[in-house]
Amino acid sequence: MFEWLAFDFMQRALVSTSVLSVSVAPVGAFLVLRRLSLAGEAMAHAIVPGIVIAFVLFGLSVSSMITGGMIAGIAVALGTSVLARRTLIREDASLASLYLIALALGIFILSAAGSAIPLKSFLFGSALGVGDDTLILIGSTATITLLSFAVMLRPLITATFDPMFFQSQSKQAGLVQHWFMFLLVLNLLAAFKSLGTLMAVGLMILPATAARYWVSTITYYLMLTFVFALLSCWAGLIMSFYLDNVPTGPAIVLVAGSLFLISLIFAPLGLLRGHYVQK
Amino acid sequence: MLVLDNVSLGYPEQNIVKHLSFSLEAGQICAVVGHNGAGKSTLIRTLLGLQPPLTGTVKWPGGKPRTIAYLGQSAELDNQFPIRVKDVVSMGIWQGLDFWTGLDKAASDKVTEALARTGLTHMADRPLYECSSGQLQRCFFARAIVQDAPLLLLDEPFSAIDQTTEAGLTEIIREWRTEGRAVIIVIHDLSTAMAVSDSCLLLGGGRACFGKTTDILTTDNLLAYHYLSETQAEFLSLLQNSGGSNV
Repeated sequence: MFEWLAFDFMQRALVSTSVLSVSVAPVGAFLVLRRLSLAGEAMAHAIVPGIVIAFVLFGLSVSSMITGGMIAGIAVALGTSVLARRTLIREDASLASLYLIALALGIFILSAAGSAIPLKSFLFGSALGVGDDTLILIGSTATITLLSFAVMLRPLITATFDPMFFQSQSKQAGLVQHWFMFLLVLNLLAAFKSLGTLMAVGLMILPATAARYWVSTITYYLMLTFVFALLSCWAGLIMSFYLDNVPTGPAIVLVAGSLFLISLIFAPLGLLRGHYVQK
Repeated sequence: MLVLDNVSLGYPEQNIVKHLSFSLEAGQICAVVGHNGAGKSTLIRTLLGLQPPLTGTVKWPGGKPRTIAYLGQSAELDNQFPIRVKDVVSMGIWQGLDFWTGLDKAASDKVTEALARTGLTHMADRPLYECSSGQLQRCFFARAIVQDAPLLLLDEPFSAIDQTTEAGLTEIIREWRTEGRAVIIVIHDLSTAMAVSDSCLLLGGGRACFGKTTDILTTDNLLAYHYLSETQAEFLSLLQNSGGSNV
């Protein structure tokens, strides 16, 4: 039953995705609560050109990948903010325009440079090919993320639930918002190698949306989001090990998707229990 | 307690209210009335210290805006947010806590007392989504109570709630007055403004006037400050002449 754990690459994948689950779960939970799920998806694509340019210029280095991805992510976030404030298009349209340009640019440069890394690996990741440097990146990201949440959990809850009230009470309103976006980009970069640009947000959002149907307090919500993310990673890994030609990233996200559908139907706040919300 | 001296509000390209001066004493309740776009939201942001005035000065109690307890419009909040009623109330004192510290006994007692005062003791451990509109508003009043602020700023506190809840909340506002707190209420309903407030700030057409509520909320003023149309003002005058209500 546990023969899959005898392989070094599976052990690494298990450790990396488990630690990743600890890290992405709270970020995903607050993305959902802050109604930024689609913005998270957009940011996952926005970091691509930075990663690709860093890869073309400096090769397969985690530090250059982080730097490139971070620059691209921040550039798109700032560009979106400026376009939304200074021109007639709104924030969603600004973000969509910029991330589409960024994604296309990234794929274009990757192909034009004749990269040795296959496009599929950029899009879907390779959880089974995680090296030491990526493990360190994931571990560091998880540490930074958990420490950050320990410090800013109450401010983040308040800022998410009642932004104006939070602004009226705290001088750090902008800092909390910007640091959360930094954590988002950092976690996307950490998840990039394992899950790729298309799947990285899946592990953030789906466990978080699934958990929303089960619990009604923030503590349990964060815990259940983590449990669902962990379950998705473990089940996805086993699935891709035993089934031929099943890529790991999509398998993990599909398990998370199944958890979402089960929750949607059977959970206490799901459809079968008749919890409808008037909007 | 709160002093605004020759303040102009708005944006560099758009001056919304000019030459606004008024002061609020402890134990005073002030209604802010104005048509849509008159500058009420801008005034709120300025009072909260989120938007500096274009000109003039604002003096807050204690010298800084963060001493104000703010109660926003509950319709703008996500009532499905996964949080218990007592945790929303506790937000009023989170600011004073360290990252790791939970509520001590004094703080817990404060929350329990505020829940009791707003009639929400039975809802304390219930999720927020189980609250009716009235209970939701009482929950935010309880949060304002635990903030223990010298000045409270309430934005449309009586919208979408029934008469019984409104009467209960009005009673809490009167208790705040007795406790020596100043209260600013942004309000649309003129009869409630007349019933609750001592003073009134009327905004409209880029101008403002401040004084006793009964002196400010007259038909002539409401017409001059674009709160009423001419037809509405004529109708109101007819009502008054036939022995109807003042405003």
